Amino acid sequence: MGEIATKYNEEELIQLLKEQNKAGFDYLYQNYAGALYGVIYRILNDEQTSQDVLQDVFVKIWNSVAQYNPNKGRLYTWMLNISRNAAIDKTRSKGEIMKSKIHTGENIVDSLEQNIKTEQATDTIGLRNMVADLKPEHASIINLAYFNGYTIEEISKTLNIPSGTVKTRMRSAIGQLRKAFAVK
Amino acid sequence: MNTGEYIESGILEAYVLGVLTADENLEVAAYVAMHPELSAELDAIESALIQYSASGVSLPQVGVSDKIWKTINPSAPLASASKNVPLPAPQKNVQWRYAAIWIVLAGSLALNLLLWNIGRKNADTAIALTKEVACLHMDQQLLTAQLDDYLKAKDMMADTAMQTIVMHTMQKGHPMAATLYWSKEKAEAYVSVDGLPKPPEGMQYQLWVIQDGKPVDMGVLSNKMANTPKIQKVAMAVSSGEAFAITLEKNGGSPVPTMENLYVLGKA
Repeated sequence: MGEIATKYNEEELIQLLKEQNKAGFDYLYQNYAGALYGVIYRILNDEQTSQDVLQDVFVKIWNSVAQYNPNKGRLYTWMLNISRNAAIDKTRSKGEIMKSKIHTGENIVDSLEQNIKTEQATDTIGLRNMVADLKPEHASIINLAYFNGYTIEEISKTLNIPSGTVKTRMRSAIGQLRKAFAVK
Repeated sequence: MNTGEYIESGILEAYVLGVLTADENLEVAAYVAMHPELSAELDAIESALIQYSASGVSLPQVGVSDKIWKTINPSAPLASASKNVPLPAPQKNVQWRYAAIWIVLAGSLALNLLLWNIGRKNADTAIALTKEVACLHMDQQLLTAQLDDYLKAKDMMADTAMQTIVMHTMQKGHPMAATLYWSKEKAEAYVSVDGLPKPPEGMQYQLWVIQDGKPVDMGVLSNKMANTPKIQKVAMAVSSGEAFAITLEKNGGSPVPTMENLYVLGKA
């Protein structure tokens, strides 16, 4: 994935998708496939399975874009939710042990730390460098929210910090990401 | 809470990450709608998250896109070059474009209507002018013929030897007259029946010259001559005679005059 193209705004892209326009598909793929795949891959940790799930996700986006409601969230957030749910469903169907929301806080933190270690070990240099720039307390919040879909309350309980602090840490974490990717 | 404090609270980040409750999502969406300057902030957050997730993973660029497209749209041809196809130009200000298109269309339509009207008027004018020219042409032909007649009459009158004989009515209560111009030397005569009515259907005027008390046939007169100032040359040579007369006869004339139909008579 290169730079983030800003050729279409959300409204225009949604219109293209509703019209089943190939240009809309191409734009969608070019701008979001990498990020959505990244989310799916970090949940499943398997390239081929992640690609299959990505395909299912695109089919779902393509077929249900009419149900997307901009009053309930951004388009990327909607696609992110579809991707997370599809990937999590895949782990369940595989009978994997879900390090999911029913786990206790300690377990989560443990598994989270393991996850991060695994990521750092297996991911490419780019991500390792990037993650290295994040303080651990920031990285854990981003990863819980972004790749596991934990709510503020769940993160608050998991990390045993107030929900207000969860949000301000989210802000400073993403602030570091913005600096790292030179997003103003 | 002002927008600066709102931004610093981190709720926008949570919103983009999709980790707020449904009610909180609605609140943020409403707040952003009221403060459009927050859209740029949301875009920046989203952009950072997209790059963060996309970095460090290698999605094969070739094949996956086409495979997904084929799944989505089995009837569509496999667009292997799709990634190289440039995206269409951004559709910014699309409403302005539609408005502009409509304005241009409406303007073109109005102009066409205007030009069509002008064209139709021009065509009408052309037809009217053609008719007028034709009328003028006919008038001119008529005038030329009349002028010709008058010129002939003038030449004829200018002949000092020409004698004018006015024939008077022979029918009581019917004021009629005809004129005969006679050049005895040339044995030529001209007749005008301006003062005679149009003959009835099947009848014709016939000119006689009285020579030694007897009427001599001088030929029939064209019905077109009656009641017009035209002058007709008498077909036969007339070198002598005491009087001239016109009778109404059947078409083609009669060898002897019908005396009860003697209309006019003039002595030479």
